[in-house]
Amino acid sequence: MTRSSSSTRSPTDISTALDLDRVSLRINSGDKIAFVGANGCGKSTLLKILDGLVYPTSGTYRAYGADVTETTLEDEQFNEAFRSRIGFIFQNSDAQVFSPTVRDEIAFGPLNMGLSTDEAETRVTDTLAMLEITDLADRAPYQLSGGQKKRVAIASVLAMNPEVLLFDEPTATLDPRTKQWLTELIVELSHAGKTIVLATHDLESLHLLADRCIVISEQHRVVADGPPDEILADTRTLVQVNLIHDHAHSHGELTHTHSHDATHH
Amino acid sequence: MTAPAWLLQNEIGLCPCGCIGKRSKGSYIDKTIAGGAGLIRQAMFAEDTASQRALLQQVDPRVKVVTLIGLLITAALVRHVPVLAAMYLGTLALAVASRLSLTFFVKRVWLFIPIFTGIVVLPATFSFITHGHIVVSLGTWFGSRVGLTSQGLRSAALMVTRVAVSISLVVLLTLTTPWNRLLAALRTMRAPRLFLLVLAMAYRYLFHLLGTVTDMFTARKARQVNRSTMTEGRRFVAASAGALFAKSHALAEEVHMAMIARGFTGNVRTLGPSRIVARDWAWTIACVGAAIVFLGADRALGR
Repeated sequence: MTRSSSSTRSPTDISTALDLDRVSLRINSGDKIAFVGANGCGKSTLLKILDGLVYPTSGTYRAYGADVTETTLEDEQFNEAFRSRIGFIFQNSDAQVFSPTVRDEIAFGPLNMGLSTDEAETRVTDTLAMLEITDLADRAPYQLSGGQKKRVAIASVLAMNPEVLLFDEPTATLDPRTKQWLTELIVELSHAGKTIVLATHDLESLHLLADRCIVISEQHRVVADGPPDEILADTRTLVQVNLIHDHAHSHGELTHTHSHDATHH
Repeated sequence: MTAPAWLLQNEIGLCPCGCIGKRSKGSYIDKTIAGGAGLIRQAMFAEDTASQRALLQQVDPRVKVVTLIGLLITAALVRHVPVLAAMYLGTLALAVASRLSLTFFVKRVWLFIPIFTGIVVLPATFSFITHGHIVVSLGTWFGSRVGLTSQGLRSAALMVTRVAVSISLVVLLTLTTPWNRLLAALRTMRAPRLFLLVLAMAYRYLFHLLGTVTDMFTARKARQVNRSTMTEGRRFVAASAGALFAKSHALAEEVHMAMIARGFTGNVRTLGPSRIVARDWAWTIACVGAAIVFLGADRALGR
């Protein structure tokens, strides 16, 4: 799967600023990649491009040997194949969980893939059991907690059995237990052969969530690309992209300054 | 980070002399918060009663919709108050068998009848609208006696009991069927799927936006020190409405993306209906039997 773009603007953006600038990268099957950057750097836009939800204003995005554009996605066969291969878990679970019940929500994707109602039912039952949310099956979305909604959102995508899973800020706003559960799930899905692409600024779990990190600056450009250990050790770049900051404090009479983030003290 | 000097000092909370200011009544903010919370609580309560394992809750929603429509038609055809009164007692029995609070059920039905039906039927009870035997005299007007006629009162009683039975049947349906199952029932009864999808999503996001409104008003209340003026209040409500509109627009766009991401192309596909079981057939037979008995009794009482 290849993607390259010189500039991108989201459909709702009425400013002249670019969301992404000269971003070029290649993602291979089975990769576990994290886009890292401060808020507003364009991580989510990049994920939306990868899912064919927004399109680059210049440059190209190719997936499975074909250009992904508004025109190619109008082709029903390509659209169905593309949508069933790439799943997107949104940051805002409220936007993703829109059906009247959890069961309907999880069945939405499989039914739209053209599966029969019996097959869709089986997938719903299996996915509910796998994510241990069978007891939520007949609940309405407003009866769910934030963590439960996240599980349902993930279940709704996993039921389609996509090859590629795109996670937008997966661990943001989750309680520690759910965060741990989700991190373990992402690791398991990666071991099962799924391609994982996620956008995050959670440096604490980065070494678990990704094998390759792509750092995007506030100028919307790729400034670093490498394994998590290498990226986390490069504090100068992390300070530059506003992911960590220099912090001065005292230990008794000794005052010193160092970078401050979740992985260093 | 350097904090400004004022941030390092405490604000004076109460008057230094310790006097207490005058009490103020709850503002529109309190009322909005309470209203929002009340609506959510009511919906939760309705979902709780609908998910109990009692008589009507266990009947398939499709069967329930069809049989209750049948009973509504029966109520419309019946022309005798005693028969309608018997039907009303039947709805009360069903409410009890479905473990609904009888007080809540009766209140819910009779709260609207005096307001809507009462106003409509009241003129029909007077002799100048429905001529007949005056049973309650209200004096004379231009030389003729004016009062309530037995014919008018009978018509009014017929109308009121018919409305009471009809509303009771509809309330029974809504209180014993979760909203999503009711929609699913309508879906299998060939109601337009896109219309039902929009309806379901509107209901789902109503609660989300209600939560947002409540949060906005709570945040305002948390930072409000003095009582706001009417102008400030109006400005805040207008600004909140604008902000909510922008939020709902952004949310709608995101929901649409989430639908497209999972292969939605405009065709609504849903899970199949559940099977009709023996219990549903038994309920249908009971309803048909009841309808025959009521219509037979009505005919026996004559015109």
